[in-house]
Amino acid sequence: MKNTLIALGLATMGLAAPAHATEPAASESDQTGAETMTVNVKGMVCDFCARAVTKVFGRNSAVDTVNVDLDTGQIHVGLKPGMTLTDAEIESMVKKSGYAMVSIDREAR
Amino acid sequence: MKSGYAASLAVIAFGLAAAPAQARPVSYPGGWTAMQMNNGDYSSVHLHYSPTFQDSIGLYSERNWAEDWHFTGLQYNRLVKRWNETGSQANLYFKAGLGQVDRFGPGDTDLAGFVGISADWETRRWFTSYEARAHDLGFDQSFRQSARIGVAPYIGDYGDLHTWLMLQVENQPESETPTTVTPLVRFFYDVQLLELGYTPETDRFMANWITRF
Repeated sequence: MKNTLIALGLATMGLAAPAHATEPAASESDQTGAETMTVNVKGMVCDFCARAVTKVFGRNSAVDTVNVDLDTGQIHVGLKPGMTLTDAEIESMVKKSGYAMVSIDREAR
Repeated sequence: MKSGYAASLAVIAFGLAAAPAQARPVSYPGGWTAMQMNNGDYSSVHLHYSPTFQDSIGLYSERNWAEDWHFTGLQYNRLVKRWNETGSQANLYFKAGLGQVDRFGPGDTDLAGFVGISADWETRRWFTSYEARAHDLGFDQSFRQSARIGVAPYIGDYGDLHTWLMLQVENQPESETPTTVTPLVRFFYDVQLLELGYTPETDRFMANWITRF
């Protein structure tokens, strides 16, 4: 029984597809002047943290791309053309992911 | 009074300076987690769903080979407090389970439950955690606690293979070998976490696996 459980766990590992650091993938909207932002966050220390952030941000219909940089504690967010997010909405997503927002730097692509 | 205060501080300090296997029992909202733990004395499977980043609920099954019982039930995990700091994160969790236990025999089941706490502190280089859990099996009560300290020999980016070298101390007062020390290595790739270790005192291997989806 013990060996069966161990074997099951090891076998299942090979079935799970790895996620990418960016999701969803960058699109043609990069050239349309859509807004990008860098969100500075406290508490992100591991890939589970990064995964949580990409999942929560990725579900927002205004979000085009999400990149997490664990070294700098930053989330790089690209919005879809014509879409915007308020500071409160961004902070809510950071909080929902389980982390604490420090600041937001906005720029146009 | 002073000695009691000092003892409390010592317990807290020990807890914060150590680490448990199930250090992250909650996920992101809508996330599922599967955990499988095996250390020779017991094997467990925990599948849970997180409606919020502070809660998870799921199925828990543990086959305890050392004490000859099998628990199956529901487990609830609560992130009581998280401390997000620049470059570090600390967590305090509460866990509770309710279900039935059988003693490896037909028709011999009891209502059973457990409560536990765990705490961890982690940077990208260092990891410490502590976990304590008390079982009420109906026919018996048991307690176990474990603590870990770990270091990452290199720091990888998101999506890289991360490696941790860890040392776990586990204490089960009623066990034939109450205290054991297990060196282990943790491999962490994307949403897959695998731990392999060996306990010399009991000549047992450890194999833990966690995945999120």
